[in-house]
Amino acid sequence: MVQDKTLGSRIFDAVNYSLLVIIALVTFLPFIHVIAGSFTTVGELAQKQFVIIPTVWSLDAYKYIFSTNTIMKSMGVSIGVTIFGTLFSMVLTALMAYGLSRRDLDGRRGIMFMVVFTMLFSGGMIPSFLVVKELGLIDSLAALIVPTAINAFNLIIMRNFFQNLPDGLEESAKMDGCSDWGILLRIVIPLSMPAIATISLFYAVTYWNTYMTAILYLNDAAKWPVQVILRQIVILASGLAADTSGMDDFVRPPEQTVKMAVIVVATVPILLVYPFLQKHFAKGALLGSIKG
Amino acid sequence: MMRDTAVGNAMVTKPKQSSELKRRLIKNRALYQMILPGFLFFVIFKYIPMGGLVIALQDYQPYLGILNSPWVGFEHFERLFTEPMFFTILRNTLLLFFMNLLFYFPIPIILALMLNEVRREAFKRIVQTIVYIPHFMSWVIIVSISFVMLSMDRGIINELLVLMGLEKVNFLMSNEWFRPMYVLQIIWREAGWGTIIYLAAMAAIDPGLYEAARIDGANRFRQIWHITLPSIRSVIMVLLILKIGDVLELGFEHIYLLLNSMNREVAEIFDTYVYTAGLRQGQFSYSTAVGFFKSVVGLILVMGANWLSKKAGEEGIY
Amino acid sequence: MAKKKASALLAVFTAFAVLTGCAGNSDGSNSPAAGPNNNTQTATETPAGKKEPVKISIMANLHTPEVPDDTIEKMLEEATNTDLKIQWVPDGSYDEKMNASFATGTLPQATYIKNQTSLAMLRDAIRNDQFWEIGPLLDQYPNLKKLQKEVLANTSVDGKVYALYAERPLSRQGFIYRKDWADKLGLSAPTTTEEFFTMVEKFTTDDPDGNGKDDTIGMTDRSDFVYGAFKTVASWFGTPNNWGMQEGKLMPEFMFPQYMETLQFFKRIHSAGYMNQDFPVTSKTDQQSLLLTGKAGVYVGSMGDVAGLDQKITEVNPDALLDVHHKVSGPNSEYGTWAIPGFGSVVLFPKSAVKSEEELKNVLSFYDQLMSAELMNLITWGIEGKHYTIEDGKVIPSTDTALTDRETKPYLSLQIGGISTIDGMLEAKHILPSKAKAEELIVDNNNYLIHDPAAALDSLTYNQDGARLQEIIKDASYKFMLGNIDEAGFQAAVDQWLKQGGQKIIDEYNASYAAVK
Repeated sequence: MVQDKTLGSRIFDAVNYSLLVIIALVTFLPFIHVIAGSFTTVGELAQKQFVIIPTVWSLDAYKYIFSTNTIMKSMGVSIGVTIFGTLFSMVLTALMAYGLSRRDLDGRRGIMFMVVFTMLFSGGMIPSFLVVKELGLIDSLAALIVPTAINAFNLIIMRNFFQNLPDGLEESAKMDGCSDWGILLRIVIPLSMPAIATISLFYAVTYWNTYMTAILYLNDAAKWPVQVILRQIVILASGLAADTSGMDDFVRPPEQTVKMAVIVVATVPILLVYPFLQKHFAKGALLGSIKG
Repeated sequence: MMRDTAVGNAMVTKPKQSSELKRRLIKNRALYQMILPGFLFFVIFKYIPMGGLVIALQDYQPYLGILNSPWVGFEHFERLFTEPMFFTILRNTLLLFFMNLLFYFPIPIILALMLNEVRREAFKRIVQTIVYIPHFMSWVIIVSISFVMLSMDRGIINELLVLMGLEKVNFLMSNEWFRPMYVLQIIWREAGWGTIIYLAAMAAIDPGLYEAARIDGANRFRQIWHITLPSIRSVIMVLLILKIGDVLELGFEHIYLLLNSMNREVAEIFDTYVYTAGLRQGQFSYSTAVGFFKSVVGLILVMGANWLSKKAGEEGIY
Repeated sequence: MAKKKASALLAVFTAFAVLTGCAGNSDGSNSPAAGPNNNTQTATETPAGKKEPVKISIMANLHTPEVPDDTIEKMLEEATNTDLKIQWVPDGSYDEKMNASFATGTLPQATYIKNQTSLAMLRDAIRNDQFWEIGPLLDQYPNLKKLQKEVLANTSVDGKVYALYAERPLSRQGFIYRKDWADKLGLSAPTTTEEFFTMVEKFTTDDPDGNGKDDTIGMTDRSDFVYGAFKTVASWFGTPNNWGMQEGKLMPEFMFPQYMETLQFFKRIHSAGYMNQDFPVTSKTDQQSLLLTGKAGVYVGSMGDVAGLDQKITEVNPDALLDVHHKVSGPNSEYGTWAIPGFGSVVLFPKSAVKSEEELKNVLSFYDQLMSAELMNLITWGIEGKHYTIEDGKVIPSTDTALTDRETKPYLSLQIGGISTIDGMLEAKHILPSKAKAEELIVDNNNYLIHDPAAALDSLTYNQDGARLQEIIKDASYKFMLGNIDEAGFQAAVDQWLKQGGQKIIDEYNASYAAVK
């Protein structure tokens, strides 16, 4: 790409880059504190409220959480649910969003309204539980995927992206004898990679963060995803659970360093997803895919 | 939706148009096939459970079930509207929402525009990845970190204020600081994450447009104003409408963690109120009634926003 | 062509969906079908002549990071000839899960209820015959019948007993303080509230850590009105426990002058800067951290906490010395300490899962065996040699806390009864002197208990509005202590409480009290 080298443009870049560096630092510092906190001792963490570089390094927290395979097993569950869930959701969402993006479709407004309506009104926990129970999904990992397969917000965004594709693409494809399925798979999907990357990321993150449905629908603790364990440790270690049943005399909460280590372990895998999707956000990605 | 059904009914009465409709339905059958699985999903997992909303009109007891719980009419709604705190809560909710809309909503757009202007790919990717990290930290962590920083006892911020010869500020337990603190925490956590949709929309812009603008001598701000922003306008509109529908959803966990006796006058919202007044005591019906009220307000606002957006020539969300 | 491709794609994803469904159920023994409903068939003779294990499903609270290893569960099954199915539910979401299971009829046969508050929420359901009444049956079981009548009465609904309980010390309240600081400043353990005030004052002003800097405070407290400092100090002043008798009538604690005296005491400490300024928003972790890092010297609350605090404080400062104390008397020169109703969690038996009286007896018989000294020691301490050793007839738990956290601690949630109801239950030998002292003082506290006269009473208005109304008092109390409102302001809040339903609560409790009497 040709760069413009005017003075104004250079000042613009200088200011822009500096601001972004400051923003990145401000957002990154607390996470550094969490990472540093996970690699130090309980004593140091208690003494310094905010650790950036530990003076005493320690792997005790990691040794503790990896001394059993619970965390690894739950990570396996989370990864599986995230991968299958995202694929399943993307298929359902993309199909429905494309169907609804076609302006010549009868009833499309009605269906869209029906979708928006579910964003505002929900029947609550118990009726949803009953549906899941009737479908025989209790204690199955599918209960973490199927009941939340389509997110209305994601569907609306996806449809909006499809609607913004250049007009006439479909017309010309039809002239070439393409069916609606053909248009979707051969033209619309390849042209929508930024949108697909975005929505996949949203779904992946939602599945990764699955917590409440796991608590409600899974009775067998062996199937818990990592977020259940993460949250349990964070709540216990933050002293948020009031000691109303008098258990605190016997059971000591996990150390702060363990809390930090679990946050790191449960966050890093999902953070790794983004860089892989980033190439789809590059400028002109759409154009590239048309040419390709 | 109303209009569509009305038109549909009218068509049935006119045989000629009816066959026209039939022809279109057959022509588009592949599209209906695509919609069907999703449609079924919404019916099964959203609309069937929605029947549970009737407990707002009952004195629901878990052991009696929906079918056998006694009906009480609008009693729970009357209780809500006559709660001594009702107007305080409504005011708090609306104020927080408007602050959120005014101060948070534009930030991801601005940040996305800034990132979009970065030419060095590596730099851009690193910054992008960093700013989206906070989204993965739960409110419990964020609130506890900010409490440590803002504490009167040995918080960094207050120590700094003292070093600068200023008075300590009681950030955590004051009515004045609650709202700024709430909005700043949201910005910190969500701004980076919020850029993703906009960046995806910007990825679809033809680079040729910028080239042409440069040849015409447009500076960077003009390029942003005339090319980038118009290209993401429809995404902004959609997100704005959806945001407005969330007017009464301000994040229960976040506010609950920030709420205390000293800032309750400005911090109490519907969800926290229902939690203390109802849910903690197993009052499902009352909680459902409050939820229903919130949903109705949200629906009215979404419909209004959608109508306005269509008036303005945009597509709206339905 | 394209169409074929697409439907193939769809088929693949449908298959995925089915697959994930199957994967979820693959370890057959845990399939949901084996849940509560399959329990109708009880112990039957197998050809081998040995009785087939009785299936028992349990929902219990998980207080540790991880679900336990099943060694101890296996031993329990072996000893009681049962096939246990324990559903662990994370502590933070226990009530949600329990409510959802209750509403959908999927509770297991034995359901643990977290605490007194959660039990009170279920009173209505209990009255409506959702759970088995077990009171009349208890006498048939040699161990269960030892459960204390007074404590069972505190769990009862309309005088009927539905629950087994886990015993808790009646009052663990007292305070933990820096003995080394006190010695340095020549202070002895305070015996009156004024001496207590002097201690927090000197700890703040007289540089107890000797670093020449004004960087210490007296007391560290947290945002917990009950288990934090407030309620314990209120007891010192002679405030009743939630409710008290005034002119022959039950009245709420905050309408007694002693409550106001306590508020003024806190206001004095707070405004002078002798405690953490942010205490109404301080978490337990941060509260403890102030003590651990040598910023604060007094911690009012559960004396049992000293064990954990001592271990950590020596890591930060090997010279620090913690001690515990309990008796502090108020202006009326009497010491008192508020008591809990004697139980922690309780276990209920839902009729939706326990179908017949015979089945109920099977479950109760399991609990009867569980309440034996042998099994209670097993779930409390684990396996001798592995999780603990015995010295002078007392238990020395393994120092490998990671091991006990994983293998024994979670099973404590299943506890029924306790040291005072089970003969031969082992006690811990406390190597740490302050912890040993704390345990002694907790026992001594039993001589000075202030009970809640309303623990087993019922008020409809309280059930509906109590929590919200309590917020009014809590807010006003904090505002008073921080100096935002004066006595008239607090009185206005009390009037508001009365007007918005408090008066009704008073009347209903008094009616309920008269009925029981």
